[in-house]
Amino acid sequence: MKLVQVAGWLGSGKTTLVIALGKGLSKNGKTVAIVVNEIGAIPVDGKVVEEYGLTVNDIGGGCICCQVSGNMFRTIKALYEGPRPDIVIIEPTGLAVPGSIRETIRAGAHEMDISMGPTIVLIDIPRAEKLLGYEGLKRLVTAQMVDADIIALSKVDMATEGELLEARGAVCVVNPRAEIIHLSTSKGEGVAALIQAVTETRVEA
Amino acid sequence: MSNPFKIIKTNPLHEDIKAYAVACRLSREEKVSSGELRDFAEELMDAISASCVRQGAKVLGHIKAYLVYETGFLHAHTLGEPGDVTVDGRDGDPVNHFKLVINSVVYGLSEEALKEATESALKNLRSKFGFLRESSFI
Repeated sequence: MKLVQVAGWLGSGKTTLVIALGKGLSKNGKTVAIVVNEIGAIPVDGKVVEEYGLTVNDIGGGCICCQVSGNMFRTIKALYEGPRPDIVIIEPTGLAVPGSIRETIRAGAHEMDISMGPTIVLIDIPRAEKLLGYEGLKRLVTAQMVDADIIALSKVDMATEGELLEARGAVCVVNPRAEIIHLSTSKGEGVAALIQAVTETRVEA
Repeated sequence: MSNPFKIIKTNPLHEDIKAYAVACRLSREEKVSSGELRDFAEELMDAISASCVRQGAKVLGHIKAYLVYETGFLHAHTLGEPGDVTVDGRDGDPVNHFKLVINSVVYGLSEEALKEATESALKNLRSKFGFLRESSFI
């Protein structure tokens, strides 16, 4: 069982990408489970993903990078002991720091035969300048980027060449080891590359 | 629902980000068409985001809604940029009642202001469309 994270600030396109990855991986013969964690008292995204025929495990009650990390681990364990899908896609809240989630998984991974796939962090290019303009948000978005194996510059169809160049430069400074992918899920750009990365990439657990 | 403000501050990076949620059942004696539901969802997203901005929100994390009824569902979403409301889903037959979940997450607004923005927009739109708020279902 391989675990993959799709992280990034609110509204960056995580749920849309998770649906596309789930469908694409299933089409390629992989069994897939999706773990959705949403900020706010009442989750919405899990219900939407289910409407597209995908298997969803909803985690509510807080953010899995801090408040409810135990719930996340119990969910992973239940999947491992139950249906044990080939790939588990974890969509944390838009506030989550992926490194904290990876640490939680690492702490319990010795009990299970699981591997870590890439941590994909989405950056909403049309809104990047606005988000990075507030110190509090800048710290959070930067912390998310630092933990990424792949940084997907999302909504590239809505971005100018200048915005893309600037974003690539900023990403290289914050996380020079991350692979950068241009993503427009609605147009299909970058989705195949991410499906391939999820299928083939293993990172150190 | 005892506490709709659900972010517990254990990660300092989450400071100044507030969430508010509503879950309720709405009804109308005259059946509501799928087109009307789409209009309602779109206007609701616009109204909440505009109210948040008016009250001083710096960045909208997201405003989203999920409407579900016997034969259909809608998912509405906005980041507060002009003209960016999206409404997706599966249209169903006209209904007398449906369930609605709203989830608002905003940076730079107090919990009380976010609640006011969300609830007042819902109240105004309910009035416009003639929907009665029957109950919460959480």
